[in-house]
Amino acid sequence: LFPPPGQESVDPQKTAFLLRKAWTLYSVTPLYRFRRARLRDYARLLSAFIAAEKQKGLAVEVGVELDIKVALSSLAELRGSELDQAALLVQLSSRSRASSRNSEDKLVWSGWFCSVFGDDLSENLPEDFTSLPLFLSHGAESYTALVGSWFQKTFDCCFRRLAISPQNLSWMVAMWAGCKLDRAASAVELVFSVPRLAQPLDISYAIHPEDAKALWDTVQKTPGEITQEEVDVFMDCLYAHFHRHFKIHLSAAKLVKVSTAVASAHCDGIVKILHSQYLPGVLMLLTELAISQIQ
Amino acid sequence: MDENVAEYIRRTVLKIPRDEIKMMLQKWGFLSEAQLQTLNFYQIKDNISQEVVHLCEENSADIKQAAVLDIIYNHIYQDKRIWSVYQMKKSGEELEYFDITDFKKKFKRRIRSALKNVTITFKEYKDNAIWIRVAWGTPQKKPNQYKPTYVVYHSQTPYVFISASVLKSNMPLLCQALIVASNYHDIREMELRSHSLNSLKDIVFKRYSQNFQTYTTKPLQGGNVEPENADIRIVQENRSEKERIYRVNQEVFGSGPQPKLEFAQYRLETMFKSDPKMDVLDKKEPFRCLVKFSSPHLLESLKSLAPAGMADAPLSPLLTCIPHKARNYFKIREKKGLFPESFVSP
Repeated sequence: LFPPPGQESVDPQKTAFLLRKAWTLYSVTPLYRFRRARLRDYARLLSAFIAAEKQKGLAVEVGVELDIKVALSSLAELRGSELDQAALLVQLSSRSRASSRNSEDKLVWSGWFCSVFGDDLSENLPEDFTSLPLFLSHGAESYTALVGSWFQKTFDCCFRRLAISPQNLSWMVAMWAGCKLDRAASAVELVFSVPRLAQPLDISYAIHPEDAKALWDTVQKTPGEITQEEVDVFMDCLYAHFHRHFKIHLSAAKLVKVSTAVASAHCDGIVKILHSQYLPGVLMLLTELAISQIQ
Repeated sequence: MDENVAEYIRRTVLKIPRDEIKMMLQKWGFLSEAQLQTLNFYQIKDNISQEVVHLCEENSADIKQAAVLDIIYNHIYQDKRIWSVYQMKKSGEELEYFDITDFKKKFKRRIRSALKNVTITFKEYKDNAIWIRVAWGTPQKKPNQYKPTYVVYHSQTPYVFISASVLKSNMPLLCQALIVASNYHDIREMELRSHSLNSLKDIVFKRYSQNFQTYTTKPLQGGNVEPENADIRIVQENRSEKERIYRVNQEVFGSGPQPKLEFAQYRLETMFKSDPKMDVLDKKEPFRCLVKFSSPHLLESLKSLAPAGMADAPLSPLLTCIPHKARNYFKIREKKGLFPESFVSP
């Protein structure tokens, strides 16, 4: 499963920008009449849209005079199979009017659309629709809103924040805890929250990565395949170990964040990918979540 | 007046909320009542602090006086800092007469013998607390007034509360000076940290209501667990279980308010044990975990878990022992021998 066939290694240089950044996740319905050939046009139109919105007083940064430059590009490598659309990257850079001599553009916001093994959605699409169900953004929320509303107006699509349920977070932590890593890995951490008490309680449960992997290895029966039952057993083991010590039922608390050396994910739909080796696997899982939210 | 002192006073005043500035300056007592009358406390803080600096100039303030103002601020806003607890040990049992002047002299002498560039300031409070502020320099540099260490010492006890600056390299010297000045022979850091200085004092001075290990079968007086139900058709399920939980909780936590801690940390090095049917991990080595609990008021939060159905009652002794063991950092290993289910905490 990872890495996907025909894609032994994604060029690390091209995907370096993805790593170690906190990406906010959205699901996006298919884009209507999106044309790859027109990326330059789209960039111009989006740029004009942003400038117009700023004129209207929906300024992003008050008191800072910035020209926003828009760049759209395709990332052919970021996809699961030939059936997937190539990823689409949107970058907003600023050049301060004050220092036009040292004109060095500063990247202020990036967002990208992708589909990694998103066949479930793309298979039955009518023509004229492009399926890129997963959207990830990094940068000021106000820019995300601007870019999102332009795409929604232009391609008649719909963005929705992608929340990650505790069940999906469990799946992620089990899967990522089992990943084999060359370098020394960071702990496998689960963060729980018990908000409805008079005094809210947060619990961080961090397991040595070797021990977490050893546990997962005894739970997983078929290599390359993960079942819900195996994830449940893994989590039950962790809950039982915790209960033995503290007499607290962790399963009744809300799992809000999981963190491993491969990636971390927060229930509000924020993800950080730390290791390029498992990038395709992570994106595939997130694509699946996005598609479930759309359907 | 030295411009560094002026700037330090200005920045200290800026930290104070506007409607408390007058009170703090009065507590400080360095400016006369007449001078305080000239201050306009209804303008923006920037202007107030500038005016205060001018008045301090009139009185030729030096760093010693400025440091006292800083102590006053930190005494009132003590909960903004994190405090660690240290315990000192005496070789003999004799209770010696505590002489504050002697203490201050010995403390200053010990520090200055190792480091000339320090600012040392003392302030005594009514509850027998001696506050010490130390600003540290180096042989080449003057003391950094913006990163001082605060020490609170209750002379009738072996406990010292320290809010360290980030300059941790000075801790050994500070500890030395404390034991020399107070006539103890050793000092060790306890595994107990919190923002609430008063709660730390409550814990080590045993000022909180402690649990009693008596098991009574009748419910405590006035222990009406559920809110009044106007509609008598609504019946509480598991009423007896709820009452049992409430009772056990009271026994284990005590009935008074809990000391205020914000976190507890457990480094677990115990074995992973599972139901043999599950056919999972059966290593001979510890399952290494680090567990951190955090809450605005941890002990009250833990106390509410069983009634909320989130935990068993009684809660684990690993958690309920926090106040009487006076620690919130633990390392837990498996106890070998007869009772494999129990843990030992070194």
